[in-house]
Amino acid sequence: MAETKHKIARPVNWNKLEDPMDLEVWNRLTSNFWLPEKVPMANDIQSWATLRPEEQLVTMRAFTGLTLLDTIQGTVGAISLIPDAVTMHEEAVYTNISFMESVHAKSYSSIFSTLCSTDEIEQAFRWSEENPYLQKKAEIVLGYYRGDDPLKRKVASTLLESFLFYSGFYLPMYWSSRAKLTNTADLIRLIIRDEAIHGYYIGYKFQKGMEQETEARREEIKAYTYDLLLELYDNEIKYTADLYDGLGLTEDVKHFLHYNANKALMNLGFDPLFPREVSQVNPAILSALSPNADENHDFFSGSGSSYVIGKHEATSDDDWDF
Amino acid sequence: MESTLMEKTQASTLGYHELNAMLNLYNDEGKIQFDKDKLAARQYFLEHVNVNTVFFHNLKERLDYLVEKEYYEPEVLAMYSFEFLEKIHDYAFSFKFRFESFLGAFKFFTSYAMKTFDGAHYLERFEHRVVMTALVLAEGSELGAMKLVEEMITGRFQPATPTFLNCGKAQRGEFVSCFLLRTEDNMESIARAINSSLQLSKRGGGVALSLTNIRESGAPIKKIEGQSSGVIPVMKLLEDSFSYANQLGARQGAGAVYLNVHHPDIMKFLDTKRENADEKVRIKTLSLGVVVPDITLELAKNNEDMYLFSPYDVEKVYGVPFSDISVTEKYQEMVDDARIKKTKIKARQLFETIAELQFESGYPYIVYEDTVNRTNPIEGRINMSNLCSEILQVNTPTTYNADLSYNEIGKDISCNLGSMNIAMAMDSPDFGGTVEAAIRALTAVSDLSDIESVRSIQYGNDQSHAIGLGQMNLHGYLARERVHYGSEEGIDFTNIYFYTVVYHAIRASNLIAIERGKTFGNFENSKYASGEFFDKYTQEEWKPATSRVAELFANAGIAIPTQADWNALRESVMKHGIYNQNLQAVPPTGSISYINNSTSSIHPVASKIEIRKEGKLGRVYYPAPFLTNDNLEFYDDAYEIGPEKIIETYAAATQHVDQGLSLTLFFKDTATTRDVNKAQIQAWRAGIKTIYYVRIRQMALEGTEVADCVSCML
Repeated sequence: MAETKHKIARPVNWNKLEDPMDLEVWNRLTSNFWLPEKVPMANDIQSWATLRPEEQLVTMRAFTGLTLLDTIQGTVGAISLIPDAVTMHEEAVYTNISFMESVHAKSYSSIFSTLCSTDEIEQAFRWSEENPYLQKKAEIVLGYYRGDDPLKRKVASTLLESFLFYSGFYLPMYWSSRAKLTNTADLIRLIIRDEAIHGYYIGYKFQKGMEQETEARREEIKAYTYDLLLELYDNEIKYTADLYDGLGLTEDVKHFLHYNANKALMNLGFDPLFPREVSQVNPAILSALSPNADENHDFFSGSGSSYVIGKHEATSDDDWDF
Repeated sequence: MESTLMEKTQASTLGYHELNAMLNLYNDEGKIQFDKDKLAARQYFLEHVNVNTVFFHNLKERLDYLVEKEYYEPEVLAMYSFEFLEKIHDYAFSFKFRFESFLGAFKFFTSYAMKTFDGAHYLERFEHRVVMTALVLAEGSELGAMKLVEEMITGRFQPATPTFLNCGKAQRGEFVSCFLLRTEDNMESIARAINSSLQLSKRGGGVALSLTNIRESGAPIKKIEGQSSGVIPVMKLLEDSFSYANQLGARQGAGAVYLNVHHPDIMKFLDTKRENADEKVRIKTLSLGVVVPDITLELAKNNEDMYLFSPYDVEKVYGVPFSDISVTEKYQEMVDDARIKKTKIKARQLFETIAELQFESGYPYIVYEDTVNRTNPIEGRINMSNLCSEILQVNTPTTYNADLSYNEIGKDISCNLGSMNIAMAMDSPDFGGTVEAAIRALTAVSDLSDIESVRSIQYGNDQSHAIGLGQMNLHGYLARERVHYGSEEGIDFTNIYFYTVVYHAIRASNLIAIERGKTFGNFENSKYASGEFFDKYTQEEWKPATSRVAELFANAGIAIPTQADWNALRESVMKHGIYNQNLQAVPPTGSISYINNSTSSIHPVASKIEIRKEGKLGRVYYPAPFLTNDNLEFYDDAYEIGPEKIIETYAAATQHVDQGLSLTLFFKDTATTRDVNKAQIQAWRAGIKTIYYVRIRQMALEGTEVADCVSCML
């Protein structure tokens, strides 16, 4: 599909939209633009020191895990979606997604460099390279990115954005609900704000793609989705236990995983898999997740995750009529 | 697989944090779960507070221990007899005080209650903190202390954080909240400003500095052109100073800098808050404010260029620092004066840039300089505000000798704040007495303040005895009385309420002046002494415009001051003076409104269930005071109410407040920079003195929100 389209080189015309969702999401993504330097991470140094050594270790590991996923999504994932794009605007959105994933990957480094020593950072990265479950997670997703089915790529991507990240996101949300590392949590919330839109958009494009397919093919993709989810889920459970058992948080994180797996399926237009009673997220975490920019904070605290880049509009003479 | 899925449900094991968070999630019937928050507060006491509080058999054992171990200041207790101390403690506990929300309790114990030095155990309950604060502020008067306990425990009056946090503790910071410092165009003054900022932050205050007088980047030093690096490096130094100093770790140092928009570095100043600013110039934690004279709005109206003037040249030509002249008055003269180096920008471009930055960062604050000075009853010039943009007082420069000692100590500004809870004050059996008790308590804070390390602050406070009585819980009160915020009745109430407060505030300050035979310095040259201040009250009749508001005051048994009352007060003030140079300032009230169960300041609520994030608390959820599932309609949030009604409400209050009010503008994310500019223009025309933050609410893209979340719903 994409190949026929690109026989003639065409400039992207944002004044002629084939799918208004492209512009809506583009606008949302650009107004959400941020860089990690915005968040005063150094304000968490004292709080970091109050964590027990094992808590620090798990936190660093969770973040290297996230760094790996964001690296995959920024350098392979979002880019692999570009050739499948149906509209040129969709391509543009993927480039933005890809860039922001790289910003995310870099933000973890700024968390590390603020809070930990070089030696500790290197050990944590080594852990991420040696952890079998993390590596398997990467392997599964990368396999589908390199495959040749555009819809399957979107499924893998949505599951990554809406499901796989969250085992790692759990921890900073948990700390912030206990008044620890609140600036780090702000930064993570900015990432979550982005990932929520990424997962939603890719899922939406997937559903658009499915509409073009035959019933049999749709069934095939659906079965594939649940299979992949369960494959990832089995691995994710082991990863979670490996990471969180020491802190006694594994059970709680599992609920959170169920919740997000359901959310990923909903983004893809499928029915949730996990029943409500096993996907009841700890309310403190669920409320902390809210991607809305409506929290209130004072000037003695961090910058919050609430500000956006404004839409510029010049005033007219009437506005100055006094 | 099945077995891993079938985990036990977790509802039975919820802790107080989880219960509190359920406030932000609807139940299955779509109702807000207020009961869960009450349960959270209860759980918090059972699980955490009660088991971590040090137990004493009786008051004597407790006080002896706390004095001996250097927790309490013995001097405070020594002012009173032990019998009285027993009596006042019993009195405080007789009110059976309970926190109305989880956040109230959590905030109090996390941030205010005294803990053992290792931080492991609590040594105080709310009643103890109230008693210690009353004992300090009554300065030995038993009657005064009992009255203050009553006012504080009923929630009618709540001192600002530094006062309430520190009173009576042996290891403590200052009682004063807020400092404002001038900076002059020389290295001695800049270095002193940094030193003073460190000292004041260490003592727990927020510090604002005016940078208007500092010569611009590229200005000559010792006549050699292109030498000065302007205000940005000074801001960097200040930012680092504030992050270094904190009050025993209790809270971070916080600072603000103000610059006149006609300063040549203004665009660079604003660009420090850009999302993509270079790390070398980026300002993260310092707050920014701009000082805007009327002429700037006039120039924007005519879509003209605006000239920026070199402070270095202005000072040479006029012989006074840039901040001490009125740009509006001298604008044409300075434009025509070849000795003053100038650059120009488009006036409308400036306002657009300000609005853009407000979207990105919430800053800068705005001070409408000419409005402020027109309504200032005190001789002198106001050229800046503070960290929350509600303090507006006159200042004078300090000069230094070559060995860095003081040549002439000028007046810098400190302000002692405390707020009344409007709902509780309206319930007071003696409204005038409540205002008077508050004014006396704040005056005591001024009396007790003696900042030796910053002589200009010390001198300023000695001369002015300035205080700032604030108000909070306007929205909570209006909703309780089933009046909509920003409605005709809502604005009418605000007007009459503040009108009544200003009368009692001046009356109380006049009483103190009579008792002590002393006024603030330079009273004789104020508009209080000339009587001019009172013209608008003696020549005009102020009364409720709506029957509902007349009814509210009548039902509360609160007399609205008459012209005759004002005539009598005017006469007494002209004869005896008033003790406090400044009386009112309405701060944003963050922390204290939570323990006091108030809505912040006189703003509308930010959300029915507010998500509060603070360094020490993490994310906590706070239900608007008096909110139930049956009166939700009266709790439209600030974004729905919109800037126009907020400005009208603030304008009604502003006309009765001698200093300023922290006014935040709230916009939905559909707003553009033009909407922000229009609100700024409306505010200026309505006589608003300052604008504090601009907040933009961005809702989650449809489809990405958290299901059943109260604060996500429009």
